[in-house]
Amino acid sequence: MSLIALLLTLPLAGAAIILLVRAVRVRDLLAFLTVVILVALSIAQYTGGMTVRFALPHSLHTIFMAADILLLLFFLWRGMHEESRPVALLALLQLLLYLYVSGTDPQAHPFDIEVGYISRIMLLVINIVGGIIILYALEYIESEEMERMKKNGFIALLFFFLSVMNLIVTTDNLEIFFLAFELTTLLSYLLIRYRGDELARANAIRALWMNQIGGVAILAAMIISVKSYHTLSFDALLTFGSSWGVAAIAVLIIAAFVKGASLPFEKWLLGAMVAPTPVSAILHSATMVKIAPYIILKLAPAFTPFLSHTVTLFGSFVFMTASVMALGRDYFKEILGLSTVALLGLMMAMAAIDATESVQIVLVLIVFHAISKALLFLQAGILEKSFHFKYLSDFEYLYERSPMSVWMIVIGFASLTLPPFGAFWGKFFSLELLISMISQSPLYILVLVFITLGSVFLTLLYFKVLTRVLSHSTGKTEKVAIPALFRYSSYALFGLLTVGILLMSGWNGVGVFELLLPALLIFVIPLLLRWQLRSSERVGEYRCGEKDEAEIGAYYFALPEAQVRRAHYAAAALIALVLLGGML
Amino acid sequence: MNTVWIILAPLIGGLLYGVERIVRARMQGRKGPPLLQPFYDMFKLLDKRPLLVNPAHVLLGIMHFITLWIAVGLIITGTNLLFVIFVHLLASIFLVASGFSVRSVYSHIGANRELLTMVAYEPLLILIAAGFYLKNGYFSIELIHEGEPLLGSLWMLFGALLLVIPIKLKKSPFDAAEAHQEIVGGVEVEYSGVYFEFLYMAKWLEYIFVYLLVILFAGNSVMMAIVLVSSVFLLVNLVDNATARVRIPHLIAITLGIGLTLSILNLIGVGYGL
Repeated sequence: MSLIALLLTLPLAGAAIILLVRAVRVRDLLAFLTVVILVALSIAQYTGGMTVRFALPHSLHTIFMAADILLLLFFLWRGMHEESRPVALLALLQLLLYLYVSGTDPQAHPFDIEVGYISRIMLLVINIVGGIIILYALEYIESEEMERMKKNGFIALLFFFLSVMNLIVTTDNLEIFFLAFELTTLLSYLLIRYRGDELARANAIRALWMNQIGGVAILAAMIISVKSYHTLSFDALLTFGSSWGVAAIAVLIIAAFVKGASLPFEKWLLGAMVAPTPVSAILHSATMVKIAPYIILKLAPAFTPFLSHTVTLFGSFVFMTASVMALGRDYFKEILGLSTVALLGLMMAMAAIDATESVQIVLVLIVFHAISKALLFLQAGILEKSFHFKYLSDFEYLYERSPMSVWMIVIGFASLTLPPFGAFWGKFFSLELLISMISQSPLYILVLVFITLGSVFLTLLYFKVLTRVLSHSTGKTEKVAIPALFRYSSYALFGLLTVGILLMSGWNGVGVFELLLPALLIFVIPLLLRWQLRSSERVGEYRCGEKDEAEIGAYYFALPEAQVRRAHYAAAALIALVLLGGML
Repeated sequence: MNTVWIILAPLIGGLLYGVERIVRARMQGRKGPPLLQPFYDMFKLLDKRPLLVNPAHVLLGIMHFITLWIAVGLIITGTNLLFVIFVHLLASIFLVASGFSVRSVYSHIGANRELLTMVAYEPLLILIAAGFYLKNGYFSIELIHEGEPLLGSLWMLFGALLLVIPIKLKKSPFDAAEAHQEIVGGVEVEYSGVYFEFLYMAKWLEYIFVYLLVILFAGNSVMMAIVLVSSVFLLVNLVDNATARVRIPHLIAITLGIGLTLSILNLIGVGYGL
């Protein structure tokens, strides 16, 4: 219990102190210590291995309620101030619904906090990966042109985010869940508009109203739950299984789709790119979007077959479509963003299958996707800060200037698709599970085809990026120094990926051999590169007699606008089907 | 015994390539080169002065060869079919990465095309593995070889494999990735001498790889395996001689269009006992 309490409060305390400190080195030291303690706490919580349940003191509930109302009033104010009708209307709607819910009287709720196996893994991801990103952000934010207070505020917000995420994955009370959900919405809003320019404000407002749809969905689920069963407990809701219970679950699924930036809602996550890069890193890997597979994973045991099939179909459809959409993009962070949308689709698809294997598969995907994406976004930030590269078409002579960044990008992409990395095994066993489910419903053949095609498109996408980074000729080197914190945070994530390979051994019968073999093949390359083959003569490339140096581009495959719209309609139709499944 | 086969695999691939050159020549009414011509070429390559563009390029090419050899070795030892397909994917990725690692137009176009052909064949290979799993309940190649021939129930997936073979062996109509007359061999262009040898041998290993996939359909029947391999061998060369190269978008459309339809129908059939 004390571990959980510390995990919830320590980031808050860290955030508060960092706001007050003026000296950069003291701030960095404090942040470093906080991160180290958080990592230690989450590991201790994981190895403790017990399910922890307890209720929070009553006084806290009053504070939570006040916080909820203030938050919604803040959204309402932002909506009016920024003249955004959807934000204002959704805030007003939520306020009314919330007042209605808080007026009802659920019977005493036993546990506010419940930490089971899934929550323990989520805590690991949030605190370790999130912590590393914060350390990286310490360096990153210093190179922005802002006042000292605003820089420290940025770091403080990131710590606050970790605290809120720790709360959202440990609570069993729908009311607290709603508060934490809204707080992540608030934080993403504040972080996206951090740079304060026109585009940042517009994108932040869009993120705000889209995420508020999720808030409305949770409130609807709360009303159903409290009206029909007099409870606000997540667990209790899952056990009822009657028609109203299913309806509440269907509504909660919508909240997951919104947070996971699934197809009709993907714009808010892509818009988040205008924020400083650590924000994208933390939104995409350790926090925010991971709420989506988490919710589905938590709800899946109570799914009806219809809901399970529809969500799986939806997830795999999003996986394939988002992968294709990414092929036409040039902005590096946008490519990474759409691949997050795609992989979240895969996670939700697998989470919706109520089988014992699927829980493990989804957790492995969550963990390794978080590490790989954090690594890639960190590199995106380094490219931006050290080389002023944002678009793929800018990437020139990268290998000559910073081979380390190139190899980190290569490893980052390889770790999402190739053996022996964790994400690969997640996909591998997803395929195996789906194949074994084909005899239960022919729908799984369609899902299987979507997922195989999606995987191939993603591979195509990742290795298309390599077109721009790998090419180099012999001789020219003009190395650029990368700041130490940037390097160490990348190494830390790289280390996690490597350790992760070892953790895979024994899972579903994966042998040491199957892990070591590809690992050896991939890791031997950087080592062998020291071997410069001096005995061979160096030559230039074959140019067919041309004298000019060739410019090399990457291929693009832009999905026509009409097709994208059609994909959005299809996704919306599937969501409607989920809701319909809840009503019937 | 397996070890011997694994060590011999590139040599057998070389012989197969030699046979193929003769067969293809006879189909065109020529005499063709001697059977051991591929090996003579190898010795000639060894004599050449070693030239390279950059070490990473050479290294990735060598890794392509080694990984492909391992993929072939894994099929021979009889491990998990799906895993083998992904190790093979890793090998192809090494080749693509090597193509991208030099500032050469032809190499880049070749690597791009190589990557695009993956879109065409990778889903089909995975669905073929799915078919075996659905029929047997396991991916183990060893057990597939001990079981009954599955050509009868998986014939549509076998058809899908027939679409994949010309892509992997760079045969017409699906040889745009290499397209000698057009992009000077694509990925191969920047390799020379002893380093090219690895790419040359990797091609022989591709032969072994695809024909090992073909004999999976024959199960425990050696007779059927021989018939399948030789008829597929003749068919692929006949088609190679008789057709013109198609462009990459057509390649993808044709293989995925026909291949996916066949695979899905077959999976429905097997899954529901039709």
